[in-house]
Amino acid sequence: MADILLYRPHFVAFIILFLLGIYIMVVNLNLVKKLIGMYLMQTSIILFFITLAVKRDGTIPILVSSATALPPEAYANPLPHVLMLTAIVVGVSTLGVSLAMVIALYRQYNTLEEDEILGKMK
Amino acid sequence: MTSSLPGFLFAIPFFAAVVIPVVGFTNQKFCRPIALGALVFLSIVSVIGLSEVVSHGPLSHEFGGWAPPIGIEWVVDGLSGLLMVAISVVSLIALVHAGPLVEKELSDRVIPFYSLSLLLIAALGGMVLTGDLFNLFVFLEIGSLASYVLVGVAGGRSLHSAFRYLILGTIGASLYLLGVGYFYAETGTLNMADLAQRLPEVIDSRAVLTGLLFIVLGLAIKMGLFPLHGWLPDAYTYAPNSFTPLLTSVVTKVPLYAFVRIAFWIFGMTTVSTQIPILVVLGWIGAVAAIVGAYLAIWQENFKRMLAYSSVSSMGLFMLGFSLGTATGFAGGLFYVLADTLMKAALFGVAGAAIYQCGAITVTDLVRLQRNMPWVSAALLISALSMVGIPPTAGFFGKWHLVVGALEAEKYFAVAAILVSSMLTALYFFRMFQRVWAEPLPLVEPHVLETPFPIRMSLGVLTFGIMALGLGSDLVMGLIFESALPNGF
Repeated sequence: MADILLYRPHFVAFIILFLLGIYIMVVNLNLVKKLIGMYLMQTSIILFFITLAVKRDGTIPILVSSATALPPEAYANPLPHVLMLTAIVVGVSTLGVSLAMVIALYRQYNTLEEDEILGKMK
Repeated sequence: MTSSLPGFLFAIPFFAAVVIPVVGFTNQKFCRPIALGALVFLSIVSVIGLSEVVSHGPLSHEFGGWAPPIGIEWVVDGLSGLLMVAISVVSLIALVHAGPLVEKELSDRVIPFYSLSLLLIAALGGMVLTGDLFNLFVFLEIGSLASYVLVGVAGGRSLHSAFRYLILGTIGASLYLLGVGYFYAETGTLNMADLAQRLPEVIDSRAVLTGLLFIVLGLAIKMGLFPLHGWLPDAYTYAPNSFTPLLTSVVTKVPLYAFVRIAFWIFGMTTVSTQIPILVVLGWIGAVAAIVGAYLAIWQENFKRMLAYSSVSSMGLFMLGFSLGTATGFAGGLFYVLADTLMKAALFGVAGAAIYQCGAITVTDLVRLQRNMPWVSAALLISALSMVGIPPTAGFFGKWHLVVGALEAEKYFAVAAILVSSMLTALYFFRMFQRVWAEPLPLVEPHVLETPFPIRMSLGVLTFGIMALGLGSDLVMGLIFESALPNGF
């Protein structure tokens, strides 16, 4: 257990953020707070992927000149970066759609608390 | 064989989804013809694709000229070809059915309805065709976003159920993405075929086990597998009637397809039943889901909610079929998925038509179908009998192959679960029959007319499809056995 904290602290940080996100989402009745939790959870996964790409003393994956090819261990793995660029777009569009829904719910029920909305629906 | 056909299967609905808002901006009347035209074209191309696969083997397309495993590859094989035909044909019928309903309940939102429906169909097609795990995630999210919006587009109660669907769906998608990350960290690849070759070396690693669990959990939320079906009954009940046939027939089937693809094509039959015995667990969950879903359906007064719990039960039956581990069980599960696509579209189509024409929301209200509505009543009768499993409907043959598969695998709990769930299904549908046809019509009921032609015709086609799939079950089962079975059977 101490090993993980010493050599893989980023995984611990990821787990804490992920669980915190789910906790915020489940416990809060306020719709906007739920969305904050949701975004935190999505961001933690993005951080997880990015840490997979990191290499010690690795540079950015850009070819300086075509004559000298860099060895693979000299630059960070670009694939997780590209994947997460897409995942960020997906996350932002999810957030956009969900905020639009929250606005529509607020206009209809005049509150952001889920229990009050449920009460007004009956 | 290389072919650009997989790309076309995505491009047709996607371009229609983009064109509809542009053209519809000037005149809303153009939306529907464009959408239906695109879906007719899509159905024809997907049938051509399936026949090519049956005669010449799988078709694949590499995007951007990058060969897999580095580039993204799309594949039409027996399973994805069959699913693609089912998705395109059923969504065409569902959108034909939606016509009069959209005008009534979403008259100011015609453009978003058609545009998002086609975007949803394009995304489902992308999920079915892709050979890349991350690409699948992107399409999963595009499709889910479109369906969240379509569930909530009518406002009112549906907004709240759409919001819940969004929250749970996003948790599911995030878990799936996390699982993909574990696979990538362990094997360094995202291509499904490449992953299938690299996984056996690292199959004992805990990262692969955890990744698989995350993926299965995430997809189980998306497909509404008991006990993770929390979003499903509300979303199905309050979604606009124009959208429910599409939502209930195809949207949950495609995450199920993704699970089948990952479990049987990437991991392989022997791995998921012995080394990582996830099929054993899912078999039990499926059995419980089939019984509990049917039991809960008995107590529902709202007709759409009753059908929603019936969907939970069906999802259990599919899971049970795929977990049996015999060729007959797998093929029976797949056949029942195809049959259920038609049956759910027909039943929710009837529910929508009943609300549209005579405001019948509860099961008791369905008594109003007695008068003057022969098409809707016939569709209700045939599709309900098919849900129960009365020959010669498609539902009977699906359940028959499931039972035969369970007997071959000597899993008697599965046989018992299928029979018990069928009996419970019979209980709530026969109770409904009694309400509809055995009770006298209250005299004060308003006079109702038969539904408009598009609704009538699409219900007729779906009913005919249920009967035809039942009578032609040997043909379809032959096709599944020939080209849609994974290796290892």
